[in-house]
Amino acid sequence: MKTGRADKADVLQGTLILLVLRTLEALGPMHGYGIARRIEQISKDVLQLNQGTLYPALLRMEQEGWIASKWGASEKNRKARFYSITAGGRRRLAKETEDWRRMSSTIERFLGFDPSSLAEERG
Amino acid sequence: MSLASVFTARLRGLFSRKRLDRELNEEVRFHLEMQIEENLKSGMHQEEARFAALRSFGAIEPMKEAYRERSGFALLETTMQDIRYALRTLRRSPGFTTTSVAVLALAIGANTAMFSVLNAVLLRPLPYRSPEQLAMLWTEIPNRSVREGRSAYQNVEQWRSQSESFADMAVFDPASVTLTSATEAEQISVARVSPNLLPLLGVQLLQGRCFTAEEAEQRQRVALISHRFWQARFGGSREAIGALLELDGVPSRIIGILPGDFQFVDSDVWEPHTMSPDWGAYHGVRGGAAWFVVGRLRPNTTFDRAQAEMSAIARRLDEQLPAGERNRGISVVPLSLQLTGPRPRLALWMLAGAVFCVLLIAATNVAGLSLARSASREREIAIRAALGASHARIARQLLAESVTLAVLAGSLGLLAAQAGIRLILGAKPAGLARLNEVSLDSRVLSWALGLCLLTGVLVGLMPAISLARRSARFSGLEGGRGVSGGAAARGMRRALVVTEFALAIVLLTGAGLLIRSLWSVENVDPGFKAERVLSAQLSSFALRGSAQRADFYNRVLEQVQSLPGVESAGIIGDLFIGGNPERIVTAEGDARSAAERLRFRSDEISGGFFKAVGTPLLRGRFFSAADGPDSPPVAIINDAMARRLWRGQDAVGKRFKPGATDSGTPWFTVVGVVGDMRRQGLENEPIPQMFEPLAQNPSRLATLLVRTSMDDPLKMTGAVRAAVRRVEKHAPVYGVTTLEHRLGIFLAQRRFQTSLLIAFSVVALLMAAIGIYGLIQYSITTRTQEIGIRLAVGAQTGDIFRMIIREGLKLSLTGLLPGLVGALWLSQAGSSLLFGVSATDPLTFVGVSLLLTIVAMAACFFPARRAMRVEPVAALRQE
Repeated sequence: MKTGRADKADVLQGTLILLVLRTLEALGPMHGYGIARRIEQISKDVLQLNQGTLYPALLRMEQEGWIASKWGASEKNRKARFYSITAGGRRRLAKETEDWRRMSSTIERFLGFDPSSLAEERG
Repeated sequence: MSLASVFTARLRGLFSRKRLDRELNEEVRFHLEMQIEENLKSGMHQEEARFAALRSFGAIEPMKEAYRERSGFALLETTMQDIRYALRTLRRSPGFTTTSVAVLALAIGANTAMFSVLNAVLLRPLPYRSPEQLAMLWTEIPNRSVREGRSAYQNVEQWRSQSESFADMAVFDPASVTLTSATEAEQISVARVSPNLLPLLGVQLLQGRCFTAEEAEQRQRVALISHRFWQARFGGSREAIGALLELDGVPSRIIGILPGDFQFVDSDVWEPHTMSPDWGAYHGVRGGAAWFVVGRLRPNTTFDRAQAEMSAIARRLDEQLPAGERNRGISVVPLSLQLTGPRPRLALWMLAGAVFCVLLIAATNVAGLSLARSASREREIAIRAALGASHARIARQLLAESVTLAVLAGSLGLLAAQAGIRLILGAKPAGLARLNEVSLDSRVLSWALGLCLLTGVLVGLMPAISLARRSARFSGLEGGRGVSGGAAARGMRRALVVTEFALAIVLLTGAGLLIRSLWSVENVDPGFKAERVLSAQLSSFALRGSAQRADFYNRVLEQVQSLPGVESAGIIGDLFIGGNPERIVTAEGDARSAAERLRFRSDEISGGFFKAVGTPLLRGRFFSAADGPDSPPVAIINDAMARRLWRGQDAVGKRFKPGATDSGTPWFTVVGVVGDMRRQGLENEPIPQMFEPLAQNPSRLATLLVRTSMDDPLKMTGAVRAAVRRVEKHAPVYGVTTLEHRLGIFLAQRRFQTSLLIAFSVVALLMAAIGIYGLIQYSITTRTQEIGIRLAVGAQTGDIFRMIIREGLKLSLTGLLPGLVGALWLSQAGSSLLFGVSATDPLTFVGVSLLLTIVAMAACFFPARRAMRVEPVAALRQE
């Protein structure tokens, strides 16, 4: 049974990996809750994800070998699982970043092109 | 390589289910706690903080499901779950489980045993080098309807030199010789083969070497021995090579030993083909046909092309033959088709089909039981559906149950299969090659597994479909048996019972036809009276010279006949014979001598032989003392030969000679004609036979037949041995048995097949009866209200009884028609296995139909009686 917010979740899943990897790379090892809150904070609450969907994604990333997990103690000395980025994860992040940058600059060009300039080229 | 790492991670997840679940729960709990704290800090109340935390987290259970699915192999895990659950539910209904497992184990076991025989005999490739290139070549004589005739050596040489499709051809002829040692004599099988046979097959000798072409040409007395013979005679010692064997009185040197897994013809000794006693006389003649021919095709040649080429060669050679011997063809048959003849092959397939029918019936029965049981599980299934299980999921779980049941049954069935194999091998069915290769190998085991899965699906399919459909209606939650649900299930069970009936009819008809065939064969007149006759083998190898041998036999007969309890005694080479080569016979007719080619048998007998075996004299006289070695050669022939050579005339007084007119064989004068004896088994027509007096040509090996007045002729064994010893102190007497026993061996295979089929049909009939009983019983239980109403509005108990019986009758009649159609088709397909009864024998068909109907009626009897006793008031009050 999927939730009603299917479309938003799909879009997010693809970029979620990018977000998680970047967060871990920039801010070091974190537990799941921490990652969720950081993503919300950094996006200035624009990205409202179902925090729960994070965990299957984290599982997948761990299976692929991009992150590693370890049980440790939180700030309040509670038992929590901490995730950290791996070398493979860094490589993946680099690649995803590159892909994203290329796609967003292509879209930029589309959004910013001048119809008149196009007419010139045709001529 | 992330695919590999994902796979390994998932594999590990498969085994750490509990730990993963626990850890996820902890993570979720931690997450929620942290979020709640955060919410509390920003000013929410306790409850509000919790709700907000849960909301922002999203739906927990679906997330856990998604997580679980990712972390292992969902399909595998749910299947394991289903199997564990299935085992639990099966344990909860021990009655159903034990019955089903027992029934299915027997059925699967029998099928596995049958398949292992099929595998060894028909399916496995032959144990030769590139066996698909090997073929047998036969001489065809269409106007004598000979399709697979032996060939003449001259012809084979021509074929070999002219053929381009065959790389090589070799000849062989299985025969028997007497092996003598100082103390005993024994008849052993010998194969006379051309030197290129073993290389053609691609066989490596275990020790020593094969004989060369020069040795064969020079007729040197060398021989190879089989592995079995080597173990039995020489205990597997190295000294076998170079040892001498005395065959038919002449020593041969062993020069090689064949490997243990070699199978071609089942012979103990292998000699060059030139050792054949007729070699000098017949090999030069294109006429004498005595050889089996096997050939190896050149690579990339098809059988069709080879056949076309050989037919053309045959036509060319035909033109060179004298007029009377024309019109011969060559038939090329792939070796794999040849090794097991069409009749045993057919019998094997039929039996396999029959045992598969039994499995279908067993599965149908268990399916019916399963359906009945499923009615009590409606509640459980309905709850599952309400909790969110899809139809597919429920059906999968039910199928897992039935497949688990079937696999359990199958594992037990393997034990049954072992027993079955031992049983089949013990019966030693003749005509099946490679029977000793029967085993539960990997192919058989995987087939057994497939059978289990098939059975499981068959058994579980119906309950799965019916339950999955009904679950949608939640009728189970209401606690009552929905009428519509009951009708659907009843319809399915009805179909099952009808199928069981049809299958039972097919099996019963088969059994009935085979029983009648067996009865016909047992009542065939063999042409002699086998009761109370003792049979013993004598050997006169120690004696040199025909006069001495004749004298020996005469004195033995004298001594034996004088024993009390002996009515008469006679001597012949051997009463039972195998196949015979074709020979030329020249018969003196009214106008001139005509040469005929026929397959006939020649024996030397004592004067009192026919009296001892009880064969009637039709014309002329028996041999007497006057027919001695110095008198003109005389012969007695049987009716078949007389009709063949001198149709419509009196054969007595006519002359004939084996061989062509100009050959050196003597002319025989016919002095008597006797009745035909079936000496090649009871199902084969008697062939032309000629008999010479023992005095004129005493053989080295003979069978002594003693007609006694005792019911058990074996009681005379001691006396007969003593009598022979009185004549010659060291003369061996062996192979002592009764004539009835030897005759019985021909019946053994048929008896075995028939009893198997009877067993199958009885089982099928029982199961069909149980099936119909169960169904009628169930039907009455569901219709108790209806019966109560009928009784209340005035029906008599007799009416109820008849109504139930009618229902049962309708069921059996519905199954009768397709069953009879199936049985008819099957009997036509297997008609070559029948003897003395037609494939559409009305007596059998009608009898089987009647039997089944009566059984169905009997099965309905008790439920019907119970229906009569229904109390209207109680029935009406029942919900």
